[in-house]
Amino acid sequence: MRKNSVLLVIIAMALTLAGCGGESSDASDSAGGTDDALVFTYDGTEIALDADAEGIISALGEPKNYTEEPSCAFEGLDKTYYYGGFYMTTYPSDNGDRVYSIWFADDSVQTADGIKIGDSQEKVEECYGADSASGESAYTLTSGEGRLTVIVEDGAVSSVSYELIVD
Amino acid sequence: MKNIKLYITAALFIALLAAVQALVVPKYMSSSREGALTGEYYANAGDNDVIFIGDCEVYENFSPITLWEEYGITSYIRGSAQQTIWQSYYLLEETLSYETPEVVVFNVLAMKYDTPASTGRPEQREAYNRMTLDTMRWSKSKWDAIRASMTDDERERESMFTYIFPLLRYHDRWDQLTREDFVYMFRRDTVSVNGYLMQMGVVPYADEYVEMPLADYSFGENSLYYLDKTTDLCREHGIELVLIKAPSLSPVWWDEWDEQISDYAEENGLMYINMLEHSDEIGIDWNTDTYDAGLHLNVYGAEKAARWFGAILSDECGVPDRRDDGNIAEKWDEKAKTYYEQKRSLENEEK
Repeated sequence: MRKNSVLLVIIAMALTLAGCGGESSDASDSAGGTDDALVFTYDGTEIALDADAEGIISALGEPKNYTEEPSCAFEGLDKTYYYGGFYMTTYPSDNGDRVYSIWFADDSVQTADGIKIGDSQEKVEECYGADSASGESAYTLTSGEGRLTVIVEDGAVSSVSYELIVD
Repeated sequence: MKNIKLYITAALFIALLAAVQALVVPKYMSSSREGALTGEYYANAGDNDVIFIGDCEVYENFSPITLWEEYGITSYIRGSAQQTIWQSYYLLEETLSYETPEVVVFNVLAMKYDTPASTGRPEQREAYNRMTLDTMRWSKSKWDAIRASMTDDERERESMFTYIFPLLRYHDRWDQLTREDFVYMFRRDTVSVNGYLMQMGVVPYADEYVEMPLADYSFGENSLYYLDKTTDLCREHGIELVLIKAPSLSPVWWDEWDEQISDYAEENGLMYINMLEHSDEIGIDWNTDTYDAGLHLNVYGAEKAARWFGAILSDECGVPDRRDDGNIAEKWDEKAKTYYEQKRSLENEEK
C-alpha cells in the first residue's frame, strides 16, 4: 500500500510537470478587443486601451506634464502623461509600455459619442442608456477588456475615464 | 530486495526534484528583494512588542532600529510588496502563534483592494502573491492566505498545487537561471533589518500625483470583512490595533477613504493616524527624505517617521522601554550594528 502511494505521488508529480507547459502571462499584442466607443481620439490620434503606447506618445507630441511611478517591487514604471485636456497612463509589459487608462481633465475633449465634462445626465442617458447606470452616479460601458465610466454629480458629468479591466 | 531498490529510486527521484526546485525558485537576493521579507521573520520571532503589517509603506517607511534606540521599543515589520489585507490578516494570525505583541500597526492603504482580482494585472498580481506567500512557513494560516489570495479562476485551475510544489510554477525558469540561482540554491542572505528594507537614494518629490477619479470610493465588503477580522483577532489577544496611513504621497489616499477609516476607528475604539497630515511635524523633507519622488521614504525619512511615531507608541500606547533588559538589549545592539553596517555600505555606494 505504502509502495503504491509513493509511486502515485511520483507519477502525479511527473505528469503534472509534463502537462503544465508554462502558462504564458505575457501581455497580449492586441488592443484588448475594445470597440470604437472605447477608443478615445485626440487630434486625430486614436488611443485604445492596452494599445502599444510608443506610437501614440510619439503622435501626441510632448506632454504638458509627465510623472512616473515604480511599483512596489517590479522593474519598469507606471507612467502618467498629461496633454492638457486629458491624462493617459501606461503600464510596462514585456512588449513595451501599453495604455492602461485615460481620463478627462476638462471639457476640451470628448468621447467618441460626444460626451464631455459638464454635459447633462440626460445626454449621458441618451448616449449610453439608463441601463448603463451603475450605482448612484456612475454610468459604465464595458467592452472586451475595457471600461468607460462617466460620473455624474448634481446632474452634470464630472468625470470621464477609460480603464483597462483587470478584475 | 526489490522493495529496497524501489524505495532508493523513489528517494533519489524526490531528492532530485527537491534540488531542481531549490534551483529554479526565485531567490530575491539582488532584485525584487521584497520577495525575501516574509521568510526572514522566523529567525527574529519573539520579544517584539510592536508588529507592523502592510505593504511597502511599512517596510520602507519605518526604521525599527530608530524605535529601539530612541524609545527601547522592540518591533518587527511583517511587510511585503503590495500586501493585501487578507494577507496581512493571515500573516498576523501566523505571527500570533510565535508571539503576542503589545501593539499591531496596520497600514490602511491595502483597503483599496477588495478582491484578489482587483489587485492588478494577472501576471503582476500573481508575482506579488508569490513574493508574500512563497517563503511563509507551512501552516493553516499559509493555506488560508493562499486560498484568500487566489481568484476563482485560479482556484478552479487548482493553482494551490503550485504553492505546495513551487517547481510546478517555476520549472520554466530553467533558461533564465543566473549565477544567483546557484549561489543561493540552499541558503539566503538577510536583506532586511527586522523587516525594514533600507533604501538610500534621493529623488526629490517634483509634481503632485494625480489619479483617475473613482466611481465609488466605498471600501469593499471583503476588505472590510478582513479589517473586522483583524480588529477581532487583536481584541481576542489583548493587543492594541493602531491604524496608520504611512507618509507616502502616492498612491493617492483619497479623502473619502480617510473619512471611512476615521469612522471605522471611532466606531471600534481604535487609534487612527494619517501621517500624511503630520509630514511637517515629522520633519519630512520631500526633497531629501524620499528615494523615489515621494512614494517611499529613504532611510533618513524612515528614521524621522520612526522617531515621530515611536513617541506615540511609547506615550499613548504604553509600549515598554526594553533597553534595561540585558538579553534583549544585547540582541538589539547586534541588529543595530548590522543596520549601521548596511547604512554605511549603501552610503558608500551612493557616493
